[in-house]
This record gives sequence, structure tokens and C-alpha cells, in this order.
Amino acid sequence: MRSIWAVCKREFISYFTTPVGFVIVGVYALLSGLYFTGSFIIYARITQNPSSYGYDAIPEMEEWMLSPFLVLCGQLLMFIGPLVTMRLLSEERNKGTMELLLTHPLRDREIIFGKYLASLGTLLVLMLIVGFHLIIIGSFTPIEPVVLAFGLVTVFLMGAAFFSMGLFISALANNQVTAGTMTFGIALVSWILGLMGQDLPEAIPAPDTWPAGLVRAAEMVYAIFRELVVSLPLDAHAHELAEGIIYPHDIVYYLLFTSFFLFLTFRTLESRKWRA
Amino acid sequence: MIQAQELTKRYGSITALDKVSFDVAQGEIVGFLGPNGAGKTTAMRILTGYSPATEGTARIAGYDVAQDPIEVKRRVGYLPESVPLYGEMVVRHFLRYVSEIKGVPRHGLQAEADRVMSLCGLEHMGGRIIKNLSKGYRQRVGLAQSLIGNPPVLILDEPTVGLDPSQIIEIRQMIRELAHNHTVLLSTHILPEVSMLCQRVLIIHNGRLVAQDTMENLVGPEDGVVRLEVDARGPRDKVESLLSELDGVQRVKLDGAGPSFVVEAAADSDIQPRIAHAVVQAGYRLCGLRERARTLEDIFVDAISVDEGVQV
Repeated sequence: MRSIWAVCKREFISYFTTPVGFVIVGVYALLSGLYFTGSFIIYARITQNPSSYGYDAIPEMEEWMLSPFLVLCGQLLMFIGPLVTMRLLSEERNKGTMELLLTHPLRDREIIFGKYLASLGTLLVLMLIVGFHLIIIGSFTPIEPVVLAFGLVTVFLMGAAFFSMGLFISALANNQVTAGTMTFGIALVSWILGLMGQDLPEAIPAPDTWPAGLVRAAEMVYAIFRELVVSLPLDAHAHELAEGIIYPHDIVYYLLFTSFFLFLTFRTLESRKWRA
Repeated sequence: MIQAQELTKRYGSITALDKVSFDVAQGEIVGFLGPNGAGKTTAMRILTGYSPATEGTARIAGYDVAQDPIEVKRRVGYLPESVPLYGEMVVRHFLRYVSEIKGVPRHGLQAEADRVMSLCGLEHMGGRIIKNLSKGYRQRVGLAQSLIGNPPVLILDEPTVGLDPSQIIEIRQMIRELAHNHTVLLSTHILPEVSMLCQRVLIIHNGRLVAQDTMENLVGPEDGVVRLEVDARGPRDKVESLLSELDGVQRVKLDGAGPSFVVEAAADSDIQPRIAHAVVQAGYRLCGLRERARTLEDIFVDAISVDEGVQV
């Protein structure tokens, strides 16, 4: 446990002894702040005169502003996250300091958890920014604090899951630019899939000329494809959680996602024993 | 303290280390000698638990490197060839960090960092950022991290490579002092370094251990053989054949690129006056004729040439 803390502390401090940490926090604060301010002003106007914005009544704050804001905060993490995770293990390998870690009495899991916790530490700093915005919402609206707190937890879970994947990619890559680019690419694909998933129909009718067996197979393939596109993207599970509607499968999804990539990272680091 | 049994390491079809076996006793300084790419670093990485052996076993302080890597790593201080440092860290913080991951008790972290800084002459560098240090000081920081926790075994991979002459002298002096309390396995391809520091030498070539003995035994006179340095001025091939034809001469070779020849002959052949006579009689100038002790260079070249099946 002490070793995990030592690795975590060094890694976390190293974010803020270079400009990287400040750039990450600054960009995140700027983008989330711009969106928040814009939507807050518009929502305030809607509440004064809903009909001029096409609403019969004042829309629910949770649905109109809170959930989209929290989902956006999660999505921003997917695009800023590579800056946090790309260096975690690839930089150690690139600079040769992995040799230092692996020749000291550290277990692989201590290195991995230490690194991951450091990235979560940075995530917590970013959550302070989200939390600040939620306090503003809480002080101007009657939304239950527990809903706001759960919204914050949702963004954290989303970030934690995404960072675990970034850590895994960092374990695979030999330099941080490659790791960052790969992580960013996956984030982009995930985001595009998420957008696609919103518009995909339940089923696509097969041509009449196809035999029944082929139609069934095509329907099954489409159903699997649709399920993957709809369910796999990280942000797909955030919408309802962010409104305070809790489905256990959404939370389980994030926990499983995180565990799966931490496990893969562990196996990747361990693979040096049989690959080298 | 260190026992390697038939260590073998293969990278695909390439055998980097081929059944290397050796022991290092407690308190010994042993030089691991070999040209670049001979397998020194591979062997050291196996001993430190960084990379596993394909075959064979290694034990350090009684612990098997493959079975008890954590116990081994607690007892080994390792300085890799390219010193792994976090450039953005301050020296003192880096050494405290290494102390933490080495398992030094929390209350003793600062004292341990101060102790190794003092040992390595870094007392005034504690507050400096590592990337701003000179190469010599970075090497010292690397050496200091290997001393954290006072491990009984030190494995140093090319500790003086890339340093200027004064830095080399300082680092060698430091290693000599460390040897009072540690077992040291030192890899290098600088032969004088081994002569100066080591009690015993392991010579490795193409992944095979081709010689191992104490310095005295390796450098001492061979049974019944005398080595002479002959500086005779004349056509090289003719001088060489003249010397080779003398009774008792076993081998003649050019001493590097210079004008001298090294002649090996039977010790009881009374060869010196006969060489002088033959050279002068042939009309060549004899500028020098002296007995030469066997150097580590000779041993190294001999061991490697025997391994390659080449007559030097």
C-alpha cells in the first residue's frame, strides 16, 4: 500500500511540476465553463418567457441543463483524458525509468494502481471544477443536492473508466505521442458511435427476395451491431445517471469497464516476463 | 552472495546469453568484462529481476530471482547503463522517492537520502533539479539511488561510461570505497577499470563466459612462457619471419599498430640475447628489447580469440 502511495504521489506531483497539469485543468475549466455559462443564461431566459423559445412550460432543469452539462463534462474528459493518461506508463518506458521501477521491490499491481490513482487524483481536481458549477446550479434551483452529487459521481465514473483505458493504451505504446493519439482516436470513434446510436432504427427490413434463414441471420447481426453501438460508448450510460435516475446496470457497466482495462494493463506489464 | 547457474537468454533465434555460470562471494568486487553486445547487460538484467532468463537459475543472498523477485530486489542496488532518472525532480525528492519504493521506514526517509547524498558527494546538490545537473552528477545520483537501503549487493552496469577523466576517477574511487561493505558486480568494457577495481574477472563474449579467475592468476606469468616486447626497425614481414624462426619462439605478433612485436617464447630458452643477435645480424636496427608482463588486454584478446577460434 505504501509503494502504491509513493508511485501515486510522484506521478500526481509530476503533472503539476510541468505545464501539462495546468493546461489540462485550464482547458477543462474553460470549455466546461463556456458551455455552462451559455446554457445557464439561455435557461434563465427560457424561465422568464418559455413561449418565445417554443416551450409551453418551463422545461425541467435536470433534463434541459443538468444532464447535458454533466454528459458534456464526461465527454470533455474523453478528449482531454489522453493528455492525462498518455504519459503514465509509456513515458516510463521511453525515458528508461521503467527499469528503475522494475528493479525495485515493487509488484506490477503496485505500479499500475499507483499510476491509475495518480490519474484519478487529476480527475478529482477536474471534478472540483464540475463541482463548482453544480454548486451554482444548486444555489439557484431547487434541485436536490443528492441529485447533483450523483451527477458528479457519474462524471467521475465516466472519467475513471476512460482513464483506465488510457492507462492500458499507455502500457502498450512506447511513447506518449502514440499513446495519446491512440486514446484520442478511440475517444473520437466512441463519440461518433454514440451519435450514430441515437439515430439507429430498431430494425432494418430485409429485402423480400432473401431466404428466411438469411433474413434471420441479418437481423441478428444488425441487432448485435446496434446493441454494441448503443451500449458500448461511455457516454451512453451517463444520460440517465446524470439526471439522478439510477439503473444499476449503468454503474456496473462503468465498474466492469474500469476493471477490464486495469486487468488488461496488468497482463500487458506482466507480458514482459514471457515476451522478452 | 550471487550464484548464476547456466543462465541462458534467447530473443527469438538470437542467443544473447548461453549457459553462463558463475559465483560471486560476499565482499568481492567482480568485473564483468566483455565487448559491447557480449551479453553483460542481459546477465545483469536477469540478476536484478528486470528480465527473466529463458533457462537457468540465479540466486542472490540465497533468494531465487525468479521465485522471490521482491526479496532479491530488496537486497540489490542496481545502476543501469543509461541512468534512469526523473529529470523534473529535485535530487533530494528523487532519493526520498526511491527510498519509499525500496521500503525504507517512513521516519528514516530523509536520513537515508542524506546518507547516500553524503556517500556520493551530493550534499550541495540536494536542491537541484536533476535535468540541470552535469552528466557526472547525474551518474552520482544514479549511484546514490542504487545505495538506498544499504543493499548488500551492488550491480553496476558501465558506471563510468560517458564521463570525463576526472569524473571517472571520482566514480572509481567511490566504487572502491563502497566495496568495503558491499558485494559488487561491475560491468565494463574498459580494461584498466577492471585492473584497478576488481579482485576477480568474468570475461564474456558472444553470450558465453570465456574466462573467469582472479586478477593475479589471469595477469600472472604463464607457466614456462616469457613475453618480450621487441622494437626492431625493418620490413615488418621479414622481421616477423626472422623472429618466428628462432628456436624456442612460440608466437610472434604485432603490438597494435606500432613498430613493436610481442614475442612469446619458452622461459628457459634464453631468447633475449639471441633475438638481439639475430636482429642486428640481419642488418635491422634494434631500438628496444624488454620483458613485458601479461596485461588484461592480452588475456581479453586471447580469451576472445580462443572463443572465436582465431589465432591473433
